Amino acid sequence: MPTSPPFGRLLIANRGEIAIRIIRACRELGITPIAVRSDADADALHVRAADSSELIGPAAAAESYLSIEAVIDAARRSGAEAIHPGYGFLSENPAFARAVEEAGLVFVGPPPEVLEALGNKLAARRSAESVGVPIVPGTTVALGDDVSSVEEIGFPVMLKAAAGGGGRGMRRVGSVEELAPAIDSARREAMTAFGDGTIYVERMVAPARHVEVQLLGDRHGSLAVLGERDCSVQRRHQKLVEESPSPAVGSALREALFTSARLVAETVDFHNAATVEFLVDDDGNHYFLEMNTRLQVEHGVTELVTGIDIVAWQIRVAAGESLTSEVLQASSRGHAIEVRLYAEDPYDSFRPTAGRVTAWRMSEGPGVRVDSGVEAGTELRPEYDPLLAKLLVLADDRPAALARLRRALDETLIGGLQTDAGFLRWLVDDPAFASGRYDTSLIAERWRNGPALSEEELALASAAAVGARMGTAPTGSIRTTDAGSAWGRLARREALRR
Amino acid sequence: MTDYEVRVAGERCDPAAGWTLVWDDRGQGLARLVNGARSVPVVIEGRGTDWVVTLRGRRISVEVLTRRERLLADVAAVSTAQAGPVIVKATLPGLIVAVAVAPGDEVVEGTALLTIEAMKMQNEVRAPRSGTVMEVSVAAGQVVATGASLLRLE
Repeated sequence: MPTSPPFGRLLIANRGEIAIRIIRACRELGITPIAVRSDADADALHVRAADSSELIGPAAAAESYLSIEAVIDAARRSGAEAIHPGYGFLSENPAFARAVEEAGLVFVGPPPEVLEALGNKLAARRSAESVGVPIVPGTTVALGDDVSSVEEIGFPVMLKAAAGGGGRGMRRVGSVEELAPAIDSARREAMTAFGDGTIYVERMVAPARHVEVQLLGDRHGSLAVLGERDCSVQRRHQKLVEESPSPAVGSALREALFTSARLVAETVDFHNAATVEFLVDDDGNHYFLEMNTRLQVEHGVTELVTGIDIVAWQIRVAAGESLTSEVLQASSRGHAIEVRLYAEDPYDSFRPTAGRVTAWRMSEGPGVRVDSGVEAGTELRPEYDPLLAKLLVLADDRPAALARLRRALDETLIGGLQTDAGFLRWLVDDPAFASGRYDTSLIAERWRNGPALSEEELALASAAAVGARMGTAPTGSIRTTDAGSAWGRLARREALRR
Repeated sequence: MTDYEVRVAGERCDPAAGWTLVWDDRGQGLARLVNGARSVPVVIEGRGTDWVVTLRGRRISVEVLTRRERLLADVAAVSTAQAGPVIVKATLPGLIVAVAVAPGDEVVEGTALLTIEAMKMQNEVRAPRSGTVMEVSVAAGQVVATGASLLRLE
């Protein structure tokens, strides 16, 4: 621990669980955390967790959490010396990082030039290729009207947005006939999400694991490689589960991944935290995908196995501190798994759900960490990310981590809206996941829309409902029409549609 | 004791015998089903005839009906089962980003009608049954609330 805090006051330009995570790091470092809030978040958990908060605009993210001007103004008003952007929102926006520096504040993240150079996924591909890091075969220039280059790569291919992230603007294309409509819709989605419709093409690597390497660098040229995370459990090309170490990575591949990650980072004047993402095929070849120049949602997995507080170190290196030998030589111990609790219906293609969280009980106990942004009573907003919480476990080895995760998920109870908790609980017992031999197709191939309700489950649910009714309404006092019945009809229709 | 009939998705279900409901936190609807040494945690919401039981993470809508309610429900089911206009409503709030159909279009069940962006994701609204689009009440760029009428099918 430093003897004096790196900063007096720090503004957290984010919301939800990650804002709370950063507030906790601030408290431990002796920094006064300042939250920001939209009109919709006046009473949000992250606002109450901070010492004070600044209003930055209406509910729509574009006018609040994504407004560079509003966030910089809030930082000025609050007397903050530094801004931590979290993930998403403005975290990888070079214009924001530059505006922070121009306002005389410290941006807790890589320098704007790095965000610029690596934010464009196409440019990043070219950089990686130029230093000999293998990239997924495909185009290194923007896809124009001439699509003959795509046919040369060979189907299936992946279309990706140059400004991409979070799976948006990504399309799998199986044949030349599907190509034109897929390009149109990928461009449209990329344009909506990023304001840039530039698309490029990669050959589909399948089966593949998605493995990423955590980097942490200081302003004095030191770079720590904090191990890898396996993020192969995905839906819509977005991660749901992450673990470290990767069950698919042996020591030779690990060395190769670490070397490639370093080489990519060295193409720019890097400091702070970033993650280099790779695909790994069945033969153990790895291919650079992209470098995310921000704190990752799943950073906690690495914190658990290395014991390094990545968020605290982001703040410390931003203030100019050097990484210690403890960080530079950190090794990984045990096995950590993170599962993301989302407001999504895994029985209906992981469609986002909405509503109010009416019940909220999170797991506790040995080796369990919960990073949560909601509580009982929280109204979920359609404007923001549907991530409710991250449940992480640490144990001596993978089997013990799975047992702990099973226990922790059994303790997790959420009411008011459908979440992916049932999928996550299924996953722990899935033979492919349990054996560690799984790839990015797991959800599409093995889960699909989940198993049908069993007779036992139907009978138990029935017993619970009868028990609840008997306990609440005395015999004879019966409602036949109320607001609940419209919901009931809708739910029944939905159940029948499956 | 009232003799209840239980239905899930319109199908009759027999409650598991020997299980008792014990409340842990009534305010949040947290409870356990207990049968001897066995215990299964559940989350329960609802009142009257309509309940939602979350079991192993999955929400299950359960109707609990007395004999009288059962008769009323059956009568209501007959009157709504006949083919008639269907108003397609938004099941989640969001931004309409694309409308794929226009009045007069014939659609089959499952046809993508329009796209709503919510939670930063694009969600397709599909035809609940086959029919003709009679009226489209929304346009791209419009923000809709849950339950908003999107279009009418006949």
